[in-house]
Amino acid sequence: MTGPHRLSPSRRAVFAGAFACALAGRPAGAATPATRIASLGGAVTEILWRLGAGPRVAIVDTTSVYPAEVLRERPNAGYLRALSAEGLLSVGPDLVLAAEGAGPPAVLALLREAGVPVETIREPPTAEGVRDKIATIGRLAGLDAPAEALSREVEARFATLARQRARVARPARALVVLSQTGGRLMAGGRGSTADGILALAGLVNAADGLEGFKPITDEALVAAAPDAVVMMITEGRSPDPATVFAPGTALAQTPAAARRALVAMDGLALLGFGPRTPEAAGALMRAVYPDLPPDPPPAPPRE
Amino acid sequence: MTERPPSPEPLLAARDLAYATGGRRLVDGVSLEARPGSLQAIVGPNGAGKSTLLKLLSGELAPTQGTVAYAGEAVAAIPPWRLAALRAVLPQAAHLAFPFTAAEVARIGLDGIGRGLGRRDRAGILAEALARADATHLGARAYPTLSGGEQARVQFARVLCQLAAGRTLAPAQVLLLDEPTASLDLRHQGALLDAARDLTRRGTAVIAILHDLNLAAAYADALIVLEAGRLVANGPPAAVMRDDLIARVFGVSWPVGRVPEGGQPFLLPRRTVAG
Amino acid sequence: MSDAAGPGRPGAPVFLGLGLLLAVAVLLSLGLGAVRIPPARIVAILTPGAAEAGRDALVVLGIRLPRTLLGLMVGAGLAVSGALMQGLFRNPLSDPALVGVSAGSGLAAAAVIVLGDRLLAGMGLPGPLPYAALPVAAFLGGLGATLGLYRIATRAGRTSVATLLLAGIALGALSGALTGLLVYASDDRQLRDLTFWSLGSLGGATWTKVWATAPALLPVLVLVPFLGRGLNALVLGEAEAFHLGVPVERLKRLAILLVAVAVGAGVAASGVIGFVGLVVPHALRLVIGPDHRRLLPASALLGGAFLVLADVAARLVVAPAELPIGIVTAFVGAPVFLWLLLGKPRQDD
Repeated sequence: MTGPHRLSPSRRAVFAGAFACALAGRPAGAATPATRIASLGGAVTEILWRLGAGPRVAIVDTTSVYPAEVLRERPNAGYLRALSAEGLLSVGPDLVLAAEGAGPPAVLALLREAGVPVETIREPPTAEGVRDKIATIGRLAGLDAPAEALSREVEARFATLARQRARVARPARALVVLSQTGGRLMAGGRGSTADGILALAGLVNAADGLEGFKPITDEALVAAAPDAVVMMITEGRSPDPATVFAPGTALAQTPAAARRALVAMDGLALLGFGPRTPEAAGALMRAVYPDLPPDPPPAPPRE
Repeated sequence: MTERPPSPEPLLAARDLAYATGGRRLVDGVSLEARPGSLQAIVGPNGAGKSTLLKLLSGELAPTQGTVAYAGEAVAAIPPWRLAALRAVLPQAAHLAFPFTAAEVARIGLDGIGRGLGRRDRAGILAEALARADATHLGARAYPTLSGGEQARVQFARVLCQLAAGRTLAPAQVLLLDEPTASLDLRHQGALLDAARDLTRRGTAVIAILHDLNLAAAYADALIVLEAGRLVANGPPAAVMRDDLIARVFGVSWPVGRVPEGGQPFLLPRRTVAG
Repeated sequence: MSDAAGPGRPGAPVFLGLGLLLAVAVLLSLGLGAVRIPPARIVAILTPGAAEAGRDALVVLGIRLPRTLLGLMVGAGLAVSGALMQGLFRNPLSDPALVGVSAGSGLAAAAVIVLGDRLLAGMGLPGPLPYAALPVAAFLGGLGATLGLYRIATRAGRTSVATLLLAGIALGALSGALTGLLVYASDDRQLRDLTFWSLGSLGGATWTKVWATAPALLPVLVLVPFLGRGLNALVLGEAEAFHLGVPVERLKRLAILLVAVAVGAGVAASGVIGFVGLVVPHALRLVIGPDHRRLLPASALLGGAFLVLADVAARLVVAPAELPIGIVTAFVGAPVFLWLLLGKPRQDD
């Protein structure tokens, strides 16, 4: 449906009243911040926890996997793109922070209709994107000061990362593999979060012939000739290089195979574009460029 | 109803019927009539076109040539619901995918035409039809569990229901039977044809495909003999059943005998190979 | 029902029972959910004229009520379509999917999910695709596939049911292959969307969906009982039905059309929900017999009740999240069906 669903006029008047009541004295970011936040999206949840707003989060979604205790300790409204309206309402949220792509749209519309402010958090896969995300969430949750501090911290790390990137003489080619189901490799192409993190780590995206996360054919894989393959750690288990580069697989015929260059990282840290992004990119960089000289001391803070 | 005087228009009239498909003529130049109160038997060897002829008469198939008319009206011009009041067809076999009871199957004959009848009338018709077909005791049994003969009787009951219901709309009707005695035992063969004869006394015209010449000779007023789609004889059994015709059409040299009283002919099988 | 049930068949009590089941299903659907609302409140909210406000009213009137209504309509539509198909094909194993509706709908939906945005970009239009594109495409896809199948199976005004079946299987296979291609070409997000869609859900039920689906499903439910007599006669065979005065070709055409509309609308509104069309009429037949004049309305009642109850389960089992309803219908329906089959003496050998 385009736009919020329409109730009959009399009902809308009723809910407008409810809306007014719900909002009385609680506009987003005002003096009385939200205490029952619905946090939808892995990076959104992670940021809220880093800002110390964990206790104020009432409900999360299945992608909110960090910190690990979140899914254990908070009710789960379902998959980010298949949320339950009544489930969300059942915890009486006073603010919904939803990563873009949350859905179905009818559910978000229903929440708005119930008078719950619903804010969409954009997620561009860049350093600026992370900074803006932190600032937006901080503002909406009424935590501008902690957000500012976290922002500065993250900025400093991004700056260090940028300096390290500058020292990379010959950028290597890397491929981010999201999943390997049924013999089909899903790789991160142009414009995807994989692309973003590779750029931050000073690497060239070997799969830049693809757009978004797409399956990559064996031939395209060999043509891409990645020097390193990045995969996700699933269920706490890292993929085994012997299996990944086993003879006969397409990956075995890449330069990465010769050097057994497999980097395994946590999915949300690597692709979530949250506060851990600089560390993840840094770890990735060090894994692929082991000979990079250690960091020079950071530039003195500009104050 | 008592005997009716012959009416000017036959109940069913077929003129120069022909049906060709796939390059073969299954029926070729057949003309016949059915008057109220008559019972005619269509006989002939396998592949003679008997079933095809019956389908043409019932309106199920459209002839490639010739016409079929009910009381003067062309069958193609009669809407199916009205045709159902004018004639009923007993099929050779009916396999049911769903476990209707025998009584329910018989009642289907009533459900279309008999829509306008009251519940008591309908119950009465159903009971009488089942009794006529000696299927009352089968009423509550699931049709698919019945033997071939029992199923045939239930279908006959259905057809009787249809005729009874249609009688309110059409005073004189035609009953077409496609090998009705094929799976019946002797007793029920006789009973079914007795019931058909009963109907003729009410003015119904009956045309039945029979494979048993002796049965046909015993019950039918006229035999319609088909061979390779053509009509080779049409007349009372005594006139039609002759050695030469039997030999030519059916390919057996069994002699035709005669029962002393009444002169009804019969055909006794005779072994051709000694021993 | 005005007609006597016939010997050995339960009649009015079954309909009373089904009606009661339906009422219970509706009550549970309106009364239960992730949000705890006391029954007194619910009654107050539902009382016409009461201007109830607040979250509870929104939950009952804006979430649960449209969901219940949609579930009733779609469930009834699917079950009745199953009964129609089983009567048309004279086979108790027939399923509405056989006329190509599900194949066409599924393919259209997969195309929209996977290719939609790309198509827009290719035409130079700004994305994203409006959300309504998916249900509309699914509905049209289902109708289109059915129309195509009907054309293939109909010669000189006669529709061959056997050809319809075989062509439907071929179309299903082709559509499955094309959908497979789309799945293969999909990215992670699209694949998940496709998967959820193919599991079915009443989760997106809104009043808009209810109003959009009603004009398709309600006429079908109203018209279907009129086919009962004809379908009974059809069980004897097409020739026999003709002899009994049934307009056979018109009956087939109408049945196919009603199934296409009902299933198409159902799939468009709530994705693919399997099992209801096959099992509900089949199970009912074991209890009330194969007379379509009773089977069709009973299927509507039981189908609606079943889907609504399945939705209640889908909403409660993993609250505050929801299970896709297709999982629940299969999970609950299959054992119940097996139990029925094992309990009844075999009647059709």
